[in-house]
Amino acid sequence: MLKNNNLGICRRLMMREIKFHTGQYILLAISTCLVCMLYTFSLCLGNLTYNGFIFSYKMIYGSGSHILFYDLTPSQAAGIKGHRSVREAVSLSAIGVLSDEMLENRSVKLASVSPGWAKETEAVPMQGRMPKKQNEIALDELTMNSLAIPYELGTEVSLKWTPADGSGERVDTFCLCGFWENRMGQTETCAWVTEETAQKLSSGGQKKQALGVTLYRPGDLERQGEEILSDLGIQDIAFTTNLAWNDARREYAGLKAGRFYRLNLIVMLCGILMLYHIVRLSAAQDVRFYGRIKSLGMTPRQLRVLWAERAALLSLSGLLPGWLSGFLLCVVLAPHVVIGMEENPALYFFRLWPFIVSGLFTFLTTGIACSLPMRAVTGKTPVEAMKFVEKEGGGRRRGKRRRTSLFLMAFSGLSRRTNRSVPGMASLFLSLCILCCIRTMGASYDQEKYLEGMAVFDYLIADASATASIQRYNPKSRSIKEEMYQAAAAHPAVTGIGVLRTMEVPMYAEDMERAQIIAAFEGKDESGTVRKEYMADNPDWMAGYEKMRDKGEYIGIATGVSGLMLEKIMAQNILIEGAFSAELFDTGQYVIAAASSSSELKVTPPAGSRVMIAGREFEIMASVPLEESMISGANSREAQFHVTYYMPEEVFEELFPGYGIRNVGIDIDQNSQEEFELFLEELLMETKADVISVSDYQWIFRNAVFHNCMIPLFVGSVMLLIGVLNFGNVLARGVLVRKKEFAVYESLGMTRRQILRVLLLEGVLHLASMLLFLVPATAAVTWLWGRWWIANTNTWCVTWHYSLMPLWVSIPVLAASALLIPPYFLKTVTRESVTERLRVF
Amino acid sequence: MDMITIHNLKKYYTNPVIGRGSKKPVVKALDGVDLTIARGKFTAIIGASGSGKTTLLNMMGGLDMPTEGEVIVDGINLSSLREEELAVFRRKKTGFIFQNYNLVPTLTVEENILFPLDLDGAAPDMRFLEEITELLGLADKLEHYPDMLSGGQQQRVAIARALAAKPPVILADEPTGNLDSRNGQNVAGLLKMTAEIYHRTLVMVTHNPELAQMTDRVIRMRDGRITESQVMPC
Repeated sequence: MLKNNNLGICRRLMMREIKFHTGQYILLAISTCLVCMLYTFSLCLGNLTYNGFIFSYKMIYGSGSHILFYDLTPSQAAGIKGHRSVREAVSLSAIGVLSDEMLENRSVKLASVSPGWAKETEAVPMQGRMPKKQNEIALDELTMNSLAIPYELGTEVSLKWTPADGSGERVDTFCLCGFWENRMGQTETCAWVTEETAQKLSSGGQKKQALGVTLYRPGDLERQGEEILSDLGIQDIAFTTNLAWNDARREYAGLKAGRFYRLNLIVMLCGILMLYHIVRLSAAQDVRFYGRIKSLGMTPRQLRVLWAERAALLSLSGLLPGWLSGFLLCVVLAPHVVIGMEENPALYFFRLWPFIVSGLFTFLTTGIACSLPMRAVTGKTPVEAMKFVEKEGGGRRRGKRRRTSLFLMAFSGLSRRTNRSVPGMASLFLSLCILCCIRTMGASYDQEKYLEGMAVFDYLIADASATASIQRYNPKSRSIKEEMYQAAAAHPAVTGIGVLRTMEVPMYAEDMERAQIIAAFEGKDESGTVRKEYMADNPDWMAGYEKMRDKGEYIGIATGVSGLMLEKIMAQNILIEGAFSAELFDTGQYVIAAASSSSELKVTPPAGSRVMIAGREFEIMASVPLEESMISGANSREAQFHVTYYMPEEVFEELFPGYGIRNVGIDIDQNSQEEFELFLEELLMETKADVISVSDYQWIFRNAVFHNCMIPLFVGSVMLLIGVLNFGNVLARGVLVRKKEFAVYESLGMTRRQILRVLLLEGVLHLASMLLFLVPATAAVTWLWGRWWIANTNTWCVTWHYSLMPLWVSIPVLAASALLIPPYFLKTVTRESVTERLRVF
Repeated sequence: MDMITIHNLKKYYTNPVIGRGSKKPVVKALDGVDLTIARGKFTAIIGASGSGKTTLLNMMGGLDMPTEGEVIVDGINLSSLREEELAVFRRKKTGFIFQNYNLVPTLTVEENILFPLDLDGAAPDMRFLEEITELLGLADKLEHYPDMLSGGQQQRVAIARALAAKPPVILADEPTGNLDSRNGQNVAGLLKMTAEIYHRTLVMVTHNPELAQMTDRVIRMRDGRITESQVMPC
């Protein structure tokens, strides 16, 4: 008999609720949208951080395959391809390796075209196409830059290569049919030829294969790789596993993304608070409403459906704008989180799950916030619910009877809202502390100091063969043309310009000269370690040093410098030995010696000694530590241990005529930065020379500061929003719940103007009492934390800068709320006549 | 045949404001009430303010839970019902006319009247609806919202709602409290008439001795107890 069978009525009630309380619902929908935006933002950011790390590991590894097996026979490769764990496999038949000395830091395999392998390693021509005809070849741009091959399809290319069968180095000529930009694994790539060309070059001999496999379950790759080999009975085969599926690296990526995911807890808490503050405006009224419909026979189940539909409708109204705005925010900020990608990381790593999860979280948050009045009804009889009145905080203090004044009324009103203000106050205090600390931290990062340390020049142009740290500089590259240099020098914005040319030359050090270097490296530092031991993990350096120590032979890098280059070298460096004279240096009979050293150690031949460079004798005028930030690219492996000799550029050209410029350093008038950058872009358009500008460093600096501050800034801003909202809510409630009280005052002869003055006084007193605590407490916390941070940070480019800017900005906002909210709500509650309001239950 | 049976009904409250812990004074709203109300009769409960009239009516309507004792309505023991069943009991077995009407402000007059039926998913008897709205003078107000009606009209909507689901018991809590004496007489007459026409058991709480004269039986309450039960002459 007692069945409950109609849930349709819930929807009608809900729709009518919306119609009758449109303002509140719009406010709730906006807040829901904000909550959804925050969830979407933090989840998308976490997702792209995680995938960004995985992507970078994949780039370092150089392939999308899970495991790469090397040196397989065709039958072994076929066995692995058919293994039950292998989902897909791509193979590479390399006939040899390019062995030009300019490629010594890289491994470029000469191989017949393998579309699968090319796809996995992103070695697909973007200009031109894969080889189709005999002797055609496709190369990557880094290889072309190192070998000074022009970016012109059809160019004849002579390449030195060593066959895989060990039959000795040979040179063959090919026709360039395509090339691509390196994105993946700069240390290892392929030079593609057709199958026929490969057959011809290898004389049809047995080729070994490399195999890249994609597994069904990409976990514990080492174990799976060993299992595959052991299942097939294959022994002594090397394999490498993709870093992107390495458990430890995935865990690390998860850890980095975790801080964004953890934000969701704060978003949920803040979202519930934010929505609850709005719901609470009419909570007592809602509870009584629920009590009323309960008294008419509405069952708890129907009430739950009413609640769920309300939460669902609010969530739905906020979802689409929330998703869009959250994702857009992510698109804007993503390049600051995952740097170095050409595509926007938010778009590149787009996944659907953050949107689904944010939708569910939004529903959960809205549901919890909206359930609060519902829960107040639960367990209450309809009679109790209908009589529900929210308890006011504070207490009535008995004291001497005093004449009632507006101020006393305001003060009494203020004391009633004390308890209600506590969560908002705590939220404001915490958020202001976070924001002021972050502001102090952000302002203390010193860009000037950073640029002084990092950007020696406003612009440093690098030859195409010296753009990457693994690229050995090729003096024959000549991508920086003389006329380009002249054009840049003639630009009116340029305040200083200089060039740097280098050439590696074999040199010999006499016993006396080398004694100084040996003494430095064989000596012990403060920790008791022999200094050369620090270079033990660099075998090329060790070999070079031992050769110099035992035979006196070493590589000297003759470095021709002019103008600004020389000025900066002398301005940046401390003289270790000797004295510098520009006049004497310009005579071309002197050089300045420099070598890498972390301290002021004498690691060059002594000042005053004489050295023979390319057949000409020079006297070492002075020695300085090597300023490596002025030189781009890498030297040869043989020159890992070397001494640099700076000489005038004209002398360098006399000694080594016809070689290119390695670097150009330019300083400009900062007011013309934009104009000059456009000029430079146009100037370098036709060449692959690279430029590092001061604005790159500025971007890196600002990005790093932003990256450090982003999460606390986000958390602080949300909490501040909650705090301000709560403050506004307390002010609004202070009017809304006193509808009848104001009617009583009016019936007793109080004017609305007087009531408004009481309310404004309440607001001002409320704000003043909050500020009395907030200002000194926030200032003290910020100062203490800031001093602690400055003392303990590892960052070198900081200068103490104390700032309470967020506090000063928030005070006018709070003041405006205190002055504007009470009059607005007073107008709302006094729309009805005094009698009507007195009748209110 | 009894429609309502009440045994040793008690409802005690502790005053939330005065005293602390066990020292809080106990308010005995109902203190051992025993009562039976016959089917189809019109009963009035009278008494001074605070005598427990409304509390007793709320107990009969399943709107409040007793501290002790039991209420049986139409053979259903209310204390044995779960919350869900109690809600359905309220909508099917009783029609409650509240002193402050308790109309749903977001629903029209017609929707308010049909609300208990809508909650149940039951199809309304439109002829009956027309009949009672005609009888109560609400036929031209069906599309109005409650705040567009006078106090007397709202009271009549509450009466119509109590009758609409044709519940066997109608409980009226001072249904004429907000009306002038003439309108009060009219509403009471209306209630009596509808109870007679539709054979309903009607229990009415009132302060007004004149209205009580119109009923079949008058129960007098004082300090949470029934002090007198008087059957009125026909």
